[in-house]
Amino acid sequence: MLALIYFIILAVVAVGAALCVFLSKHPLYGGLSLVLTMLSLAGIYGLLGSPFIGVVQIMVYAGAIMMLLVFVISVLNAAKDNKTPMFDGVSLFVIIGVLALAGLVGFALVLSPMGFDASTLRGSVEMTSSNLFNTAQDGPGYFVLFEVLGLLLLSSMGAAVLMAKKRLGSEIVEDNSDNKEEK
Amino acid sequence: MDIIESKTWVEWVITIAKFGFCFVPVLYILLLIPMERRGAGFMQDRQGPNRSYIKVPFFGKVRLFGYVQNMCDGTKLFFKEMFAPKGSKKFLYYVAPAIPFAIVFLSPCVIPWFGPMVFEWGDKVVRIAGPILDSEVGILLLFGFSSLSAYGAVLAGLSSRSKYSYLGSLRTTAMTISYEVCQGLSMMGLLVLAGSFSLTDIVSWQEHHVWGIVAQPVAFFCFLIATIAETGRAPFDVAEGEPELVAGYHTEYGAMQFGLFYMGEYSHICISSLLVATLFLGGYSVPFVTTETIQTHMGGSLAILCWVLAFFALAFLHMIYRYSRKLRASAQANKMEILQEYKLYKGVAWIATLVLIGAGVASWLYYNPEYSMVNGVVVNSLGAALGTALIHLLVLLVKSVFFCWVWIWVRWTLPRFRYDHIMHLGWKIILNIAILNLVVTAVVAKLMGGN
Repeated sequence: MLALIYFIILAVVAVGAALCVFLSKHPLYGGLSLVLTMLSLAGIYGLLGSPFIGVVQIMVYAGAIMMLLVFVISVLNAAKDNKTPMFDGVSLFVIIGVLALAGLVGFALVLSPMGFDASTLRGSVEMTSSNLFNTAQDGPGYFVLFEVLGLLLLSSMGAAVLMAKKRLGSEIVEDNSDNKEEK
Repeated sequence: MDIIESKTWVEWVITIAKFGFCFVPVLYILLLIPMERRGAGFMQDRQGPNRSYIKVPFFGKVRLFGYVQNMCDGTKLFFKEMFAPKGSKKFLYYVAPAIPFAIVFLSPCVIPWFGPMVFEWGDKVVRIAGPILDSEVGILLLFGFSSLSAYGAVLAGLSSRSKYSYLGSLRTTAMTISYEVCQGLSMMGLLVLAGSFSLTDIVSWQEHHVWGIVAQPVAFFCFLIATIAETGRAPFDVAEGEPELVAGYHTEYGAMQFGLFYMGEYSHICISSLLVATLFLGGYSVPFVTTETIQTHMGGSLAILCWVLAFFALAFLHMIYRYSRKLRASAQANKMEILQEYKLYKGVAWIATLVLIGAGVASWLYYNPEYSMVNGVVVNSLGAALGTALIHLLVLLVKSVFFCWVWIWVRWTLPRFRYDHIMHLGWKIILNIAILNLVVTAVVAKLMGGN
């Protein structure tokens, strides 16, 4: 009963904030509403008996990634204070796509109703770690995927650094030569 | 209503009373502001602000060692006008200072303030956990909250439409993210040793093995540096560096809005020092004594606690008497006034000393509660359990106040880093040391046959 009340509050906040992302005129407010969505999603994860995933959601998404996103929005947009139009040609396809996806997900959820019980642990620290890093021969083998994902992220980071370096390279050389002349 | 009936009423009272710990950071502000200002004076060989006073009938001008100055500042901030600069985003501008201050009330939830209380009530054995929220992801939750509190500074800078604020908030974003990584990785070694994210488990591991500072000395220093950087104080205060950015992200704020940022910073110090004390200095555990010993010798433990407090009162008296002697010999114009003021402190301290010594003797002689062992856990009466909790709480507070002093000490000793130096220190030095420490710890723990 109590869990249901919490769920309704969190769900309303999550959906409302997600709508705000869609409707807000300034991208900064959009980003902040996305933070709110992330936080209430973390709460819902907690209610579903997986506090670890909820906390990781807060730390990684709300804390780090959205912080970087707000950073980027502010660097690109805050000075101009521009207002993007709410709808344009592309958004027609996006809306149809989103509606179709929502219908599909709703259908799937209705077909397989999840038992809503906070007392059953679905993603505790121990459960997550023992499932994810089960290195037994006949285990699920998630740890291989985990390592592959790590490699993928590392390579994408390396690529980003390389691209940034190429663009900034000439300027850095100039800066160095200036410094040497001063010395 | 089966939720209410699932616990006895004593359990409910203690569980609800534990929410009072949410206000500990706010109380720490009252302690920290005078400590910082007089501490700065001490570091720089001057007095610090100590001239404001309250007039008390017999004793004259009572200054309470500068605490009155604190109240004056607070009153001033409360009654100043709140305003928003032209062109600012009004909503974000007013919400921003509240974010770090609101997070402050959430963070103490996961810190274990005392060991698990186990006592007999009626014919049931009641067990009450130390933290308000005894979660298995305790420390991660704390890190999540601390990363959220940076939004306050970021939004303040973005919404106040000033270039200085804006630069300050950009720097805050970069610094928070980079030092959070260092902070998280440097404490991972300890988590590997303790084998849990729960702060209660970490403290009980330290109680039964060694303190974190002994097991993980490198991690301790990395964590301390990263945590000081995380609170954004000198030498890491580039986000509000006065020589470059006026006051950084809170340049445009005045009155209590500025006050909220200020209090948020001090409560962040409180939370961080509590965290360092919990992770690396054994939290609530008393040095060289296990909780079981305290519980089996309750009267003696309480007596020792009282006598330690009495010793502090005597040390305070010694200080006051030394000051009075110096003052009498000096040619200061207002020395009679100050001596009159000191009479109040002397009276209070003498009464406190006598009461504490008396209470110690009484508890030594007359308070020997019965206890029984159930599954290796000492079970005793409610009073003895509360006494243990009190001792634990005081020990934790003493440790954390020491770290608060470390914060002030560092701030007034070291010069400010340049921005690129901070990034260099974070990403190229501390992060690498922390990762190396984690790898070495993991290998050693595996070889020693731990988890």
